[in-house]
Amino acid sequence: MAYPYTHEKEVRVLSRGWGDPTTRTLEGWKALGGYEALAKALKMERTQVIEEVKSSGLRGRGGAGFPTGVKWSFMPKEKKGPHYLCCNADESEPGTFKDRELLRWTPHQVIEGCLIGAYAIQADHVYIYCRGEFFETTQILARAVEEAYEAGYIGKDILGSGHSIDVTVFAGAGAYICGEETALMNSLEGRRGLPRIKPPFPAAVGAFGQPTTINNVETLCAVPHIITNGGEWYRQWGTEKSSGTKLFCVSGHVRRPGNYELPLGFPMDELIYDVCGGFQDGRSLKAVIPGGSSVPILSAQECESCTLDYEGVVEAGSMLGCASVIIMDDTTNIVKQVRRMVDFYAHESCGQCTPCREGTQWLSRILVRIENGRGTEEDLDTLLELGEQMTGTTICVLSDSAAAPVASSIEKFRDDYLALIRRGEKVGAA
Amino acid sequence: MSDSAEKSSSRDDVPFRNPGWAGNTGEFDLTESQVRGDDYVGVRPLDGGHPGGASTYPYMLKDRDPDAPLFEGPFKERLEKIRSRYPTAQAALLPALNMAQELRGHVSQESMKEVAAILGLADAYVRGVATFYTMYNKRPVGRFLIQVCTNISCNLCGGDEVLAAFLEHAGTELGETSDDGLFTVMEVECLAACGTPTAVQINSRYFENISPDDVPAVLDRLRQEVA
Repeated sequence: MAYPYTHEKEVRVLSRGWGDPTTRTLEGWKALGGYEALAKALKMERTQVIEEVKSSGLRGRGGAGFPTGVKWSFMPKEKKGPHYLCCNADESEPGTFKDRELLRWTPHQVIEGCLIGAYAIQADHVYIYCRGEFFETTQILARAVEEAYEAGYIGKDILGSGHSIDVTVFAGAGAYICGEETALMNSLEGRRGLPRIKPPFPAAVGAFGQPTTINNVETLCAVPHIITNGGEWYRQWGTEKSSGTKLFCVSGHVRRPGNYELPLGFPMDELIYDVCGGFQDGRSLKAVIPGGSSVPILSAQECESCTLDYEGVVEAGSMLGCASVIIMDDTTNIVKQVRRMVDFYAHESCGQCTPCREGTQWLSRILVRIENGRGTEEDLDTLLELGEQMTGTTICVLSDSAAAPVASSIEKFRDDYLALIRRGEKVGAA
Repeated sequence: MSDSAEKSSSRDDVPFRNPGWAGNTGEFDLTESQVRGDDYVGVRPLDGGHPGGASTYPYMLKDRDPDAPLFEGPFKERLEKIRSRYPTAQAALLPALNMAQELRGHVSQESMKEVAAILGLADAYVRGVATFYTMYNKRPVGRFLIQVCTNISCNLCGGDEVLAAFLEHAGTELGETSDDGLFTVMEVECLAACGTPTAVQINSRYFENISPDDVPAVLDRLRQEVA
């Protein structure tokens, strides 16, 4: 096996073919049944395609978990101008590394998903917005787009269906905020990546003022499989409300970090101790961030019975986000890691909204002070108060995301903060 | 795969562990070029090839020149192809700035003005956009721009130490360029390679699973590439 991050409990639907360089070629993809779903979809009514995706229960894999079929049905049925589909490949949430794998090992899977999505929402043009750092990945994707054009899967009158769809790969230039859907559209239009106030929602006024849908790479990659095998087939995995398989990006202090495709609803402890091989000898679990840096931290105790589906993680006190599971063992300096995440948000704040622009900087400065042993207990109250003022008060959720790990870590690891505040004096379990 | 076995592999006399994705514990039977997709991609034409992929670019050209003309010859063709993909001229702004950086190695204020002129945009507007995005180098960088991820997943596994090792062995300070003009070392936010910490981006290439001990060998490899 070329791809080492595999485990017998995995269900490899989207990740099938990873680690096999032939899969990225058109020929290799077709050998796995590639583009048959596209041919099938083009023979279906658009509404049937949407219904099939609705029936699968597929939810957006970019973090919000909104049902994909429902999102598509928001697009106007009467076309008054061009429609656009944006594939969000601006993967930059700390802890997330699935889209890059999908793009570089299975670029045709991404393209096929984009084309079916575009057909369903009557889009004339698909823009695949890749983060700028993905030089190697976008080269592969560009080559795949070229191949698909040559073979007639993209372009005019696709497979003789009378439908025409173009696909363009766009490379960003290093801004986390462009992963937010309205900022992505601004960036695509040649603007600074500033999120827009909603409404109007993208389905009404999106890229270039036209109806637009933005879907995550992983979401679109699931679509061809659903079209080929049917929505019911997809529901064989996962739970009633969180169906299907999900790529779990596991990073941090486990023996075998990596991408694992597992059914939603998979138990967190099984992921940590079985699939990822647990911790180095003598170490134990301290905390988990289950959905990328933007979601609240879970304590070891909260992880015990947590299942990894959208509802299960909420029940445990956090969010599944894009299933980027960051695992920390008992050697972790929580305050330092929270400070590092807050630094990230301070760096990436677009600066439009005052609570975020100022708040992230303040959080960062106070945390640096605590980390360096110059903090006070009142600082913790200030941090919490700031966090409250930063939550729900801005155009997008970057501000909320910066505040979430601060508030949750003070709540759950207060002793770690106090230990630093009291200059290393041992407090509690820390 | 052990270090010694890797060193004996043919084309990639690679003194660093697992070029890409393979992880410390995994089997590793692909070549570096198979992982990176070099064979599949081939040599991208300067005019950008098919318009659908024309705005993807191979980062800085090897023989980049701060005074190179922008948007001439094949680059003019590429810009035309890019413009044909969007309903507005403004949408070609990021791709055009990317091209300027590819040719010149950084985006100077002069470059911004040239981009503004060719797209019919105001100078101040282009400057506002160019300064928003972190990947535009506002001043010249070394032959190799080394960006070390120190965000949470890499940080948990020693990203700070890897950064320190790069600074030490390249002989430079954070954000500065070494005296030989070869290396500029910076911190970077999450590179989306969190399962293979520490992730380092050097010009267009990812180097993953880098530990402080790997750093001298990585730098030697880069030195050999320009020798």
